Amino acid sequence: MATYPFRLALRSILHEKWINLLSVLAIAVSLLMTALTVLSVYNVDVATQKLPERFSMMLYLKDTLSGGEVENIMNTLKKEHPVESVKYISKDQALKELKTMLKGTEHVLEGLEGNPLPDSIEIKLKKKAVGPETAQQLAARVKEIKGVDDVEYGEKFLFALSSIKIGVKTIGILFIVIMSASVIFVCYSTVKILFYRKKEEIETYKLLGATKGFIRAPFIIEGAFIGLSGGILSLLGILLVYYIVIFRLSHTIPIFNAFVFPADMSFLLPPVGLFLGIAGAAIAIGRIKY
Amino acid sequence: MIHFENVSKHYDTQTALRNLTFSIEKGEMAFITGPSGSGKTTLLKLIYLSEKPDEGTISVDGREINGLKESEIPVLRRKIGFVFQDFRLLNNRNVFENIALALRIRGINNKDVKTRVFDSLKTVNLRHKADYYPDTLSGGEQQRVVIARAIVSEPTVILADEPTGNVDPDTSAGIMRTFKNINATGTTIIIATHNRKLFRDTGRRVLRLDTGNLVSEEQG
Ligand SMILES: Nc1ncnc2c1ncn2[C@@H]1O[C@H](COP(=O)(O)OP(=O)(O)OP(=O)(O)O)[C@@H](O)[C@H]1O
Ligand SMILES: [Mg+2]
Repeated sequence: MATYPFRLALRSILHEKWINLLSVLAIAVSLLMTALTVLSVYNVDVATQKLPERFSMMLYLKDTLSGGEVENIMNTLKKEHPVESVKYISKDQALKELKTMLKGTEHVLEGLEGNPLPDSIEIKLKKKAVGPETAQQLAARVKEIKGVDDVEYGEKFLFALSSIKIGVKTIGILFIVIMSASVIFVCYSTVKILFYRKKEEIETYKLLGATKGFIRAPFIIEGAFIGLSGGILSLLGILLVYYIVIFRLSHTIPIFNAFVFPADMSFLLPPVGLFLGIAGAAIAIGRIKY
Repeated sequence: MIHFENVSKHYDTQTALRNLTFSIEKGEMAFITGPSGSGKTTLLKLIYLSEKPDEGTISVDGREINGLKESEIPVLRRKIGFVFQDFRLLNNRNVFENIALALRIRGINNKDVKTRVFDSLKTVNLRHKADYYPDTLSGGEQQRVVIARAIVSEPTVILADEPTGNVDPDTSAGIMRTFKNINATGTTIIIATHNRKLFRDTGRRVLRLDTGNLVSEEQG
């Protein structure tokens, strides 16, 4: 009957409860660490995606341009692909803004003769285009436009941000791969140990005419059980982390307010554990020969 | 039912069986005898492919088994009930479960397992030991559990390797009666034994082995 492999598996789980419990815990910890890594990567990603909204490029114009020439430059810029919007800021306006910024300490501007600031154009980039390479290329191109004196943008900042993102992602993926491998390995070695302990028994099964499926099924079920239990345990762990961050830390430490928690992703943990458990068990059993 | 054609089997250092040719008919009850080490167990092992012959061909139930695919080996073995000389009982299961295993492997449902296991336990007079574990039974009782496991699946062939090696003469007679009854229903039975008493005056065929050679074929 189809329930027999389950009974065999249950027998084994209860009989070898310490080995199994230990494996479940090891898997739960691995999966929890994986989930926390994914969570960190995800949050860094979300956080850095918001930054470029504030990112802009400043063009400083030569002093001698006529209104028509400025208009021309604006039009050229609008045709550039990564450009979202352009805004002309005259030197008078810039000075006014500077003065409001320095309110109360205007005296630093005293002694200035006339207006030393240049006319400028502020370019906002399309969100997707805010990468260090695109920005760099665009800057090089607009600098060639006649009448443009200088271009300024958060070059260093962009490059730093970009390499942080790549670094975090790489480490995250590496970590996930290592952790998945270790979950498979834990299931593998557990099932391997149990399989060796039952060598005699399996030999008898074979002699009595058991199919490979009959021999394998209880071990696969046991591996699945270990993986699934580890997955469920790690889900409980991550929910606990979530609870602590949202309801405790975010009140006292403001940075955690921005914390994003992809709940749907966490519910992948049990099925992932299940899958890794089955994979580990299948590898451990290997090929059965008569 | 079982046919050997020029079959030889060598182990590393010695030849266990040399150039054997014989047939066992469907529904026959035959004996294989010979001194210890003469190759009786090896001969039976060849029939259920626990060992493979080095030369010659063996067919079971009209099928040559030499080139059997891996997936067909269980199918072959399920036609056969074995009484292993070394018992092969699982010490972590009680008597009931040991016998039931032969049926579970064949995918038989729980209800039928129960009635059939108890029936075969009754046949070997061990109904009262169903809940015992093998290592708490006497050698003779263990032997009868092995016989119950071999007959419970109602196989077409029973291979019994020294089935009365550990029992007193009365029990031995009982076991032989059981085999005779099962044989009467059409089951082919091969019994390997060095105990002459088992086949004396039975009128059955007796194949005699000596150091791997089939030296004579006589009537018991
Ligand atoms: N796995 C093996 N490896 C090497 N030699 C073996 C192996 N199995 C059996 N033999 C040898 O093959 C010969 C026949 O052995 P087998 O077990 O068939 O004898 P037997 O007739 O069943 O003896 P017994 O009456 O003692 O059971 C013996 O000499 C034995 O040493
Ligand atoms: Mg023997």
